[in-house]
Amino acid sequence: MLKVEHVTKYYDQLKAVDDLSFEVQDGEIFGLLGVNGAGKTTTFRMIIGLLEPTSGKITLDGKPIDYHVTDQIGFLTEERSLLTKLTVKEQILYYATLKGMKEEDILKQLDKWLERFQISEYKDRKIKELSKGNQQKIQFISAVIHNPKLLILDEPFTGLDPMNVELFMKVIREFKEKGSSIIFSSHRMEHVELFCEKLVILLKGKSVLAGELQQIKKDYRKKNIHIVGDVEEKEIKNIKGVLAVEKTSQEMIVKIAEDKVIDDVFEVVKKGKHITSFRVEDPTLNEIFLSKVGEAYEK
Amino acid sequence: MKSKLKYLTKQSFKKKVNTKWFKAVNIILLVLFLFLANIDRIISLFGGDFQEEETILLKDESNVTDLLETTLTTLFSTYQQDRNYKVLRSEEDIQTLKENLNDQEKNIIIHLFDDEKNYLQAEVISYEEISLTTKQMIVSALQSVKEEVALQRSPLSLEEKNALMMPISIQMVTLNDQNSEENKEIVGMIAAFLFILPCFFLILMLVQMVGAEINDEKTTRSMEIIISNVSPQVHFLSKIYASTLFVVVQALLVFLYAVISFGFRMLFSGGGSLSGDMLNQVQMVLHTAQETGIVNLLLQGLPFLIILFLSSFFLYAIVAGVFASMTTSLEDFQQLQTPMMLIIMIGYYLAIMATQMEGAIFIKAVSFLPMLSFLIAPVLFLIGQLSLWELAFSSLITVIFTFIIFHFGLRIYKVGILNYSSSKLWRKMFQSLKKK
Repeated sequence: MLKVEHVTKYYDQLKAVDDLSFEVQDGEIFGLLGVNGAGKTTTFRMIIGLLEPTSGKITLDGKPIDYHVTDQIGFLTEERSLLTKLTVKEQILYYATLKGMKEEDILKQLDKWLERFQISEYKDRKIKELSKGNQQKIQFISAVIHNPKLLILDEPFTGLDPMNVELFMKVIREFKEKGSSIIFSSHRMEHVELFCEKLVILLKGKSVLAGELQQIKKDYRKKNIHIVGDVEEKEIKNIKGVLAVEKTSQEMIVKIAEDKVIDDVFEVVKKGKHITSFRVEDPTLNEIFLSKVGEAYEK
Repeated sequence: MKSKLKYLTKQSFKKKVNTKWFKAVNIILLVLFLFLANIDRIISLFGGDFQEEETILLKDESNVTDLLETTLTTLFSTYQQDRNYKVLRSEEDIQTLKENLNDQEKNIIIHLFDDEKNYLQAEVISYEEISLTTKQMIVSALQSVKEEVALQRSPLSLEEKNALMMPISIQMVTLNDQNSEENKEIVGMIAAFLFILPCFFLILMLVQMVGAEINDEKTTRSMEIIISNVSPQVHFLSKIYASTLFVVVQALLVFLYAVISFGFRMLFSGGGSLSGDMLNQVQMVLHTAQETGIVNLLLQGLPFLIILFLSSFFLYAIVAGVFASMTTSLEDFQQLQTPMMLIIMIGYYLAIMATQMEGAIFIKAVSFLPMLSFLIAPVLFLIGQLSLWELAFSSLITVIFTFIIFHFGLRIYKVGILNYSSSKLWRKMFQSLKKK
């Protein structure tokens, strides 16, 4: 289990992370979200031991982060972290040896992973000769080849086509099932929603929203009503508690402030014609993110 | 962590050696050494005017032709092996010989006359100005013949004549024979070939190598992955060790190429012994080196010289590593390394000047300065201006200085390698010096 307790980090006078606390249990996928410059990279750097917190404590299974502990961490950086002049085999051997693996084990695991990602033929090719997507696969393999206890994935789907995104997701879920703690960071909220049970949203180094995703959605009182059919738009807009009405080619989406407005909207919809669907949905994480970050900005 | 240091060092060394450029450069070096060692033969192989035969025609009106012919042939075969001379006697009249010079521009006519008073007179006729060496040979031969004629005509007894003809016995006595000008020149030459030039180039190579490798890792985020698994100290040490090991290996290879090249020359010189001007000179230098005690001096100072060179290599690698960690691109590093290159240049010139400016206090003082001492101290030691203990002291200063630079340099390195921005760079670096 990863435990981040009241961690603060200053760069000179700038407070990059402000009293941040969260836990990632074994077999859990945790979302660490935030706009650019929110303090995510600083937090990752502190977790992998590159930076020392100014105050607070970070532990993995109760042990403070040191070079024995970092051997159990896998880190996929957002930007490329490959040595492009090396071949795939040399690159993986290099990083995995630094993680304490033996050459024999690395080569066995490498063959397995290359086959899994259908890139066995690139084993002796130089990294710089590979496509962006294949480079991302190599970067992913280098992060997971040593079966890490903690896996940090910063924008893992960059440069991947939908097929490979699916493949990555499958592998990440397998690590979760095996009991690894996973920290996931992405600007694509639909990906975070698909994965994360718990999350924290950072803004200017401070947590503005934290907790279990289901609970966050529940606590966020606003809902979306999806209607298919002919409904009087003006009448819906006039209902108290309706925040906005959006029309697409197929449906009308009514954004409401709280649950009790649903009945009022339903009364108007009943009067409409050709109604085929009336569906109440929780807001998307993207909406929650924008709303929370927006509120915090205003403050 | 020790095994990771070993692995990183091995990996870094392999990365430098297992490249096609390393192999290509070493093949080129070997070819160039072979070329240099055999340059005179290669020039001869392609021929040129210098190979044209020069005929010295003797027109004698004094009956000393045999003597002059023998003397000239001996002189030319002893001192001018590479040139093609032929000494012939001519029966043709002098006017015809002179006319023939228009067609045979290389020929020289020596017209000899008997002289009652001065024993011998000569007229040397050529189409063009005779080269200085040839002129000296002819003058020397004529003088010798004249002396011989004079002796023959003198009333001296055979014994007296023999005593007169015997070369003079000269015994050279120099009270301070260790510091003769000639010796100093040879020592300067040995020092330049052994230390100054190789070290100069090796340090240039070392600085470039460390800088390029660290920058390569810094330009991607791979540095973050590496430093999350090994400490900056281990990473830094691995770069220093690998680069130093590389330049040492390269130096040994260059030495090997030199041995192969001279071996190749010996093998094809027939008889298996050193021959030719260049090799004679090498042989002479080695012989003088042994005679003047340089070999003994080298052996005495060898442990300190090795310490001095290795610690200086480490020192330059550390400084280059620190500079590379501070910069964010290879271009920035190349700018930052310029002062370091100038320091090496200063050391290079001072080392060359040390053999010419005897007793220069400034040069002696600089021989104790780290970063410069490895170029100057060995030269001063070999020409006897630095004692063994002073050489040891110079080495000790460099070792201590290297440790201090590593200690503080590591603090900058720790911050620098994870710094991707050049804003407030110097402030960040000075602040990092305070952090332990």
